[in-house]
Amino acid sequence: MKMNAIEITDLRYRYPDGKDALAGVSFGVAGGECIGLIGPNGAGKSTVLLHLNGILPEKLDGDSAVRVFGDPLTAVSISNVRKTVGLLFQDPDDQLFCPTVFEDVAFGPRQFGLTDSEVGGRVGDSLAKVGLAGFENRQPHHLSQGEKRLVCLAGILACEPEVLVLDEPTSDLDPRARRELKALLQNIPATKIIATHDLEMVVELCSRVVVLDQGRVVAEGPTRELLSNETLMLEHGLEKPHILRHSHPH
Amino acid sequence: MHHDFLDKFSRHDSPIHRLSAPAKLTSAVLMVILTVLCPWSRYGFFIAAALLLMAVAALTRIPAAFLAKKLLLLEPIALGVAALSLLQPGGLHIFLFILIKSTICLFSMILLSGTTPFADILAVLKRVRVPAILVTTLALLYRYLFVLIDEAERMQRARECRSFDAKPTNAWRNLAAVAGQLFARSSERAERIYAAMCARGWK
Amino acid sequence: MHIPDGFIDARTAVTAAVISAAGLAAALRRVRLTFPAHRVPLLGLTAAFVFAAQMLNFPVAGGTSGHMIGAVLAAVLVGPSAAAVVITAVLIIQCFLFADGGISALGANIFNMGLVAPFAGYVIYRAVLGRSSDLRRRLLAIAFAAWCSTVLAAICCAGELAFAGTVPWRAAFPAMAGVHMLIGAGEAVITALVFSAIQRTRPDLVASDRATAEPAYGTALALGLLIPAGLVLFVAPFACPWPDGLERVASRLGFAHKAAQPLLASPMPGYTFPILKSAVAATAVAGLVGTFVAFALAFVLARVLTPKPRNT
Repeated sequence: MKMNAIEITDLRYRYPDGKDALAGVSFGVAGGECIGLIGPNGAGKSTVLLHLNGILPEKLDGDSAVRVFGDPLTAVSISNVRKTVGLLFQDPDDQLFCPTVFEDVAFGPRQFGLTDSEVGGRVGDSLAKVGLAGFENRQPHHLSQGEKRLVCLAGILACEPEVLVLDEPTSDLDPRARRELKALLQNIPATKIIATHDLEMVVELCSRVVVLDQGRVVAEGPTRELLSNETLMLEHGLEKPHILRHSHPH
Repeated sequence: MHHDFLDKFSRHDSPIHRLSAPAKLTSAVLMVILTVLCPWSRYGFFIAAALLLMAVAALTRIPAAFLAKKLLLLEPIALGVAALSLLQPGGLHIFLFILIKSTICLFSMILLSGTTPFADILAVLKRVRVPAILVTTLALLYRYLFVLIDEAERMQRARECRSFDAKPTNAWRNLAAVAGQLFARSSERAERIYAAMCARGWK
Repeated sequence: MHIPDGFIDARTAVTAAVISAAGLAAALRRVRLTFPAHRVPLLGLTAAFVFAAQMLNFPVAGGTSGHMIGAVLAAVLVGPSAAAVVITAVLIIQCFLFADGGISALGANIFNMGLVAPFAGYVIYRAVLGRSSDLRRRLLAIAFAAWCSTVLAAICCAGELAFAGTVPWRAAFPAMAGVHMLIGAGEAVITALVFSAIQRTRPDLVASDRATAEPAYGTALALGLLIPAGLVLFVAPFACPWPDGLERVASRLGFAHKAAQPLLASPMPGYTFPILKSAVAATAVAGLVGTFVAFALAFVLARVLTPKPRNT
């Protein structure tokens, strides 16, 4: 059987103040797949994502519940994992921390010890991929939310990851920016895990969904099937997306 | 107070803008040093310096009104301090001396900031081996300054919407609460930034 | 209190820069050793916070407003060494992007606001706090320390101006110290209010400064020597009873004050504006009285800000 790109087995996590966040999460993502991680606020979606490249748990000791292409996450393998798994945070302002767009996109490649010209090449390519060619010298606080998101995405793509993990990528985007981002994601061949409230996007991009509620996986399966199950959706703080309410496609 | 950054025009184009950052920084600092060192007797230097700066200013194509406004904005406190210098023998000399020198130096710095993006200045600092912690702090300060100012403004506005009592003590309490919240949020944001840095390979 | 270019001469600027560089190096070293990696971005964000907080207008009577400097607040929140780095960053940005403070005066400004204010303030804070962790005591300590740090920084500033021959000590000291005794009151109140607000919503952020209180003999020694050295250099000559103290010190140290010479057009040792001479004495007395008044006011403030314990 082909090994999964990401395999999570009985992931548990407790906050420093004692509150349980994850009570045994298990699911797998095959290479090249795009899955949606959905659920109500506070379900633990972001917490799961932060485990995928070792930001959590704070101390990596003992058996890791997360395996990336078969290898468990350890203190040693972490730097490699961070190259393989690219994580896009919810708030672009948290992730765009350099004074210029160029420096920010270059941040990741620079850690790999590439030469200046190689770094420059990666930055140019990544910005072109997200449609922001020429933005090298722009300053973050002059960019729109959508542009900031795209720069963050470029910064991740510059690291050439095999797995792309996105936390609420379309929140606070205007409709046009949202459409652009969706189109972009569709064209990126990497394995994708998208945590989101944007159920319409999940239907369009993700073949499978994992429904999380109160730190547990409550359902897992093909997108249309699960999202059409109105009872299931309402039970877990979601709803049947508009796009599935009509029997014919728009 | 300071919503108008001096580097507003720093990304425009002109013969001066195109000079390298180290060259511009060195020239500005040199001008300041020479001005500070110059004795009153050599007042020709000040005239030459003023003319040179005006020529440079013209080349930068920065709106003259902007430059003039910044130049004339010598803080009232500074003027007050300068006025104190009058209270000594030869005070008038000293007073004029101070004003002329500080205006010339101010002009140099305004031109430097107006033609050099701060990110470039940071790069120069890094190259001359200014300690990494200080450079990182400066970079993050510059990056998040506006973010925090915006947050503070939003919080202020939200508070004002629900403040019906115009007493000054309430104003102070509100402002302090805003400041307190601002620090709490900044602290949390700092943690998230660290996580973001780690996520991209920072060690 | 930012000194612009041209207000101090080269000799003063260089002296201050050398002392500040040494002090800053010690502070940076301490931060490097004691700050865990995940707290490094906090320095930058605290700097942005201090800057933003300095922009808040606290309304005072008649359309004027007060502002916070934040040295002691920063020292209590992240420790004095980190506060030094934070304030230095703020001063550098203010110098480059707002021409607030001259680049040649950066050494002096960093000395006053980036070293004296947070370190002297922190020392006073801990002295008043003692071993207590009682909130009321902490507020008292913070408020008083904030006042002291403002006044001390102002006195150093006056010292630098006098050392440079720009403003005679007899005028600089009363003016700077006097004005900043009032400004310091605002600083004390604002600092205490903000600290109290942080304590209420996120007590974990101000939990204990035990972590920053580790004995750091190297840094303490370095700064312990530097700050008094700077004060001695800039302030002591003027505190001397001899009116021509500066000339004596300068000649003994062999300073060739060529640049200053044309300025001291008629350096008559005994010459004073009679009013000013007594102004210095008056300010010194006012300072002493002011210190007690400040302490008393800080005491009252702390009482007001501390929530009353519930009697069950």
